[in-house]
Amino acid sequence: MIKRLFALLAAIVFVPIATAAPAMAYEPVNIVHTEHVQVGPYGLTVGFSTWPLRAMQSLDFTFAPDGGLDGKTGTFMRTGPSGSHTRPASMVRHPRKRDVWGLDVFALPVEGPWKFDFTIDGPQGHGTGTLSGLQVLPQPGPPLTLSWIVCALPFVALIGFLVVVWRRGNPGRIRASGVPTGVAAG
Amino acid sequence: MIGTSWDVQWHIDVGPDTFFTLPHLFIYAGSAIAGIAALSVVLAVTAAQRRGETPDPRDGGVPIRVFGGAFTAPLGYLVTGVGAAAFLLYGLTDLWWHTVYGFDAVLNSPPHVALFTTISITMIGAVIVAASARELLWGRIAMAISVPVLMTFFPITANAFQGLPVPFDSIVVATALIIVLLLVLTRVAIGRPGTALATAAALLVMQGILWVFTPWATSLYADSVGLPMRDGMGGEPSLIPSGIPLAGIVAALVIELLFRRGALISGGVAGLILGFTFVLQRPWLGYAAPVTTVELIATTIAGCAFGVVGAFLGLRFGATLRLREKVTA
Repeated sequence: MIKRLFALLAAIVFVPIATAAPAMAYEPVNIVHTEHVQVGPYGLTVGFSTWPLRAMQSLDFTFAPDGGLDGKTGTFMRTGPSGSHTRPASMVRHPRKRDVWGLDVFALPVEGPWKFDFTIDGPQGHGTGTLSGLQVLPQPGPPLTLSWIVCALPFVALIGFLVVVWRRGNPGRIRASGVPTGVAAG
Repeated sequence: MIGTSWDVQWHIDVGPDTFFTLPHLFIYAGSAIAGIAALSVVLAVTAAQRRGETPDPRDGGVPIRVFGGAFTAPLGYLVTGVGAAAFLLYGLTDLWWHTVYGFDAVLNSPPHVALFTTISITMIGAVIVAASARELLWGRIAMAISVPVLMTFFPITANAFQGLPVPFDSIVVATALIIVLLLVLTRVAIGRPGTALATAAALLVMQGILWVFTPWATSLYADSVGLPMRDGMGGEPSLIPSGIPLAGIVAALVIELLFRRGALISGGVAGLILGFTFVLQRPWLGYAAPVTTVELIATTIAGCAFGVVGAFLGLRFGATLRLREKVTA
C-alpha cells in the first residue's frame, strides 16, 4: 500500500517535470529604450528592456557598438548614487542576444543617479566614454523592511523551536530519563 | 527507509540550486515529496494510535499530540511537514517577488532567505527521524547522509547577515559554528566513537559528487534548452560545493580525538581549524576577495569561539535527540 502510494506520488511529481522540459524556451531580449554613448571613436548604443528603471527590478541591458563586435573588446564599470563603483569588468556577449554585449536579468540595487563608464579597444584604437545621469526610480513593491520581517518569520519560528528543545533537554531531565550521554561533557 | 529516500532527494536539491528552472523544479519536488511523506506518516501514526497501538519513538522520534490530540505526529515528521508546508507558502511569495522585481538571481533576497530557512527546517526534521532510529542500520546511514546535507544547506542562510559590520567573515564563522555543532550532535546522538568522522567523510563524498555533477548538469541542461554557456566563465568550481569547507574531515578528527577530554575544547580547536582554512579556501577558489591579515586572524579567533558555542549547543541538542518520552503539546 505504502509502496503504491509512493509510486503515485513520484508519478505526480516527476511526470510534469519530464514533460515540461521542452516547453522552457527563453524569452527574446526586447529592447524598449536606447541611449547613445560616444566611446572615443566608437558609437555605442545602450539598450534597456524596461524603461524607466527602478531600483532592485531586473532587466536586460545591451551594449551594441556600431559595426558589430568583431575585433573589439571592452570594459564596463558602474557607479552608484553614493559614488561607490565596481571594478571594470570585461564586456561579454548577452546570453540570449549573441550579436551584442550585455547583462541579462540584472538589477541596479538602489535609487538615484547612476553612471556607466565604458572603454572599447578595436581597429581604431582605444576609446573611453560615459553614460551619466541614468536615473533609477524608487523600488517597486512593499517597503524592504516589511518584506524582511515577513520572510524572517520561519527563522524566528526555528529559533523558538530550538529554545523549546533546549529547555526540554536540561541535564537534570536527561539524567532522570535514564538516557546515557556516553560522554563526559565540557 | 522513508528518511533515507528523502535524504537522497535532498542530495539532488542541494546540488542544482545555483542555476535555473529544471533544477528549481527539483527543489520544489524535494520539498513536496518530503511534505507529502511526512503527512502520510502522521496520518498513519494517528490511525494506529486510534486503534489503540502505542507509537514507537524509533519511528520518527517522540510522538507529539497536535491540535488537542486530534493528530499524533512523531516529532521528526512533524518538523519536516511544517517546514515543507512553509516552503510551499514562501514559494508563492517568491513567485510574487519575481513578478515585481524580475528574475535577478540573488541568493539573499528576502523570499530566498525564507526558502532556505524552511528547507533547513525540513532537513532538521529528517535528522530527527534519522537519529530516532539510531539503533537500526538505516537510521545511522540516514544520519550520515542527512547531517552533511544540513551542513551544506544551513549556512546559506548566513548570507542574510553578510552586511553586518563585524571584523570577521560572517559566512565562514557561521559555517564553522554549524559544522562543529552538527559533528558534536551526531557524536552524542548516536553515542558511538567514529560517528563524527563518518559524517565528515560523507560530507566530503557529497562535496566531490556535487563538484563533478553541478558543472556537468549545468552544461547539459544549457545545451538541451539551446542556451550557450556565458562568455568569460569557466575555470571556477561550482558555488555550492566550493562553499563546503575542505577541512571538515580534519575538524571531525580533532573532535573524535579530543572528545573525551572535553567536548568544548574539541569544538574550539575544530572551529579554529575551520575558521583558518575556510577563510583562505574561499578566495583560493575565487569566491571571495583576498583576505587581509587582520581578517584572517579575526576570523580564526571567531571560528574558535563559535566552535566552542557549537560544541556546547551540539552536546545538549544531541542528548535531547536521545530522549524518548511522550509529550503533549
